[in-house]
Amino acid sequence: MRRITQSVLTVFVLILFSSLNPSYCQSISKAAVGNKVSQPAKPALPLSLPLKEGSIRFAIIGDTGTGSKQQQQLADLMKQYREVFPFEFVLMMGDNLYGNETPADYRKKFQDVYQKLLDDKVKFYATLGNHDQPNERFYEYFNMNGKEYYRFTKGNAAFYSLNSNYMDKKQLEWLESELAKDNSDWKVAFCHHPPYSSGGKHGSDKQLREVVEPMFVKYGVNVVLAGHEHFYERIKPQKGIYYFISGAGGKLREGDVNERSPLTDKFFDTDMSFMLVEIVKGDLHFQVISRTGETVDSGVLVNQKKTQ
Amino acid sequence: MRSSLKAKAPKLSKDSTPEQIQAAETALVAVLRTSRASAKPGDIFTPDIAQYIRTTLKREFKPEEKKEIRKVVLEKETNIPVTLKVNYPYPDPKEFVEMPATLLLKLPTLPKELKYRYVNHNLLLVDSDNNMIVDYMIDALP
Repeated sequence: MRRITQSVLTVFVLILFSSLNPSYCQSISKAAVGNKVSQPAKPALPLSLPLKEGSIRFAIIGDTGTGSKQQQQLADLMKQYREVFPFEFVLMMGDNLYGNETPADYRKKFQDVYQKLLDDKVKFYATLGNHDQPNERFYEYFNMNGKEYYRFTKGNAAFYSLNSNYMDKKQLEWLESELAKDNSDWKVAFCHHPPYSSGGKHGSDKQLREVVEPMFVKYGVNVVLAGHEHFYERIKPQKGIYYFISGAGGKLREGDVNERSPLTDKFFDTDMSFMLVEIVKGDLHFQVISRTGETVDSGVLVNQKKTQ
Repeated sequence: MRSSLKAKAPKLSKDSTPEQIQAAETALVAVLRTSRASAKPGDIFTPDIAQYIRTTLKREFKPEEKKEIRKVVLEKETNIPVTLKVNYPYPDPKEFVEMPATLLLKLPTLPKELKYRYVNHNLLLVDSDNNMIVDYMIDALP
């Protein structure tokens, strides 16, 4: 396994695991018991995550709400991966429902697509995108508790869902008051619009960045996740913070990443994708999987505070 | 007044079904529309307030900042035709233009029931719960 170590501001270390030689988990094939006919073996799924006992495991999807065949294919792959990497919850990066939002749309563009995961009691935590009606915050399966921005915790990690459509004074005051008293080892913020992006269509949201980044830096936010751009991108650490874009869960903007962007560390813009994450104490492991099952990026972030 | 009107519409819990969400939105729009039947453009964005907003936006943003904000607000993908009409909802299907955070911080603070929205060069006030257009201001973008 190849490792690359990168130091950022002397406190931030990223160790990349190459996807060239991932550890392979055992096959999820099942033989029929007491039956003469065996089920065909399913191919083993490459997993680059450590699967440590007691870890925090979740998935990340963004810009999903189309109800398309491709969205369903990705959801099916997520379900397969859950058999070998039992993630507890899913973070949604916004644009959860494109177009109309009738009850039928909620079913077609979300519930039906992820029904198997919902049946497994997987919880989805949504944030609002520019295509989302604000009343999605009341939807039973989005777990927003009726709020446009909210915080929840899992183990030693705190998650902040922000409404980047409308980052007003009230939300900023709330964010600062919550961060100021947050002693979690990991602080993960997620919102729809990316503060940093190499996308040709949208690019970095500089206005958003101007108001939230100082707070992220001041209060030690570790990771920022976003969507809006319909591709995957891992940004080079900025001011000690790691930024990801995972916005190809239902739509793809093929070839949109500026390959010469000084921001990008790794990107994937030729197919749809989702992320898997595992937090093991001071390490955050990630793996990015394409619709065809290819691991397109993986690695581990070492908690900045732990290295101080 | 809005709070008392909202009490007449079905209340949404944190685990509402899509049917409940739709019913609550429809009911709230209906009672608000009835209670504001005589509302017209400029009721809230009075000439004084409109002038204050225009002056503030013009003064607070340097040319380069204005360029960035214009890029966000006038982004082609989100530049959809919207009929500006008080008491009518922002159209659905829709795509909201993100309110640039730096711009938002310069505008007068609103009660939680209202939000600013930009459509092309125009500034709208919409209801936070159902996006009904409460008032609008033509050519507000600096």
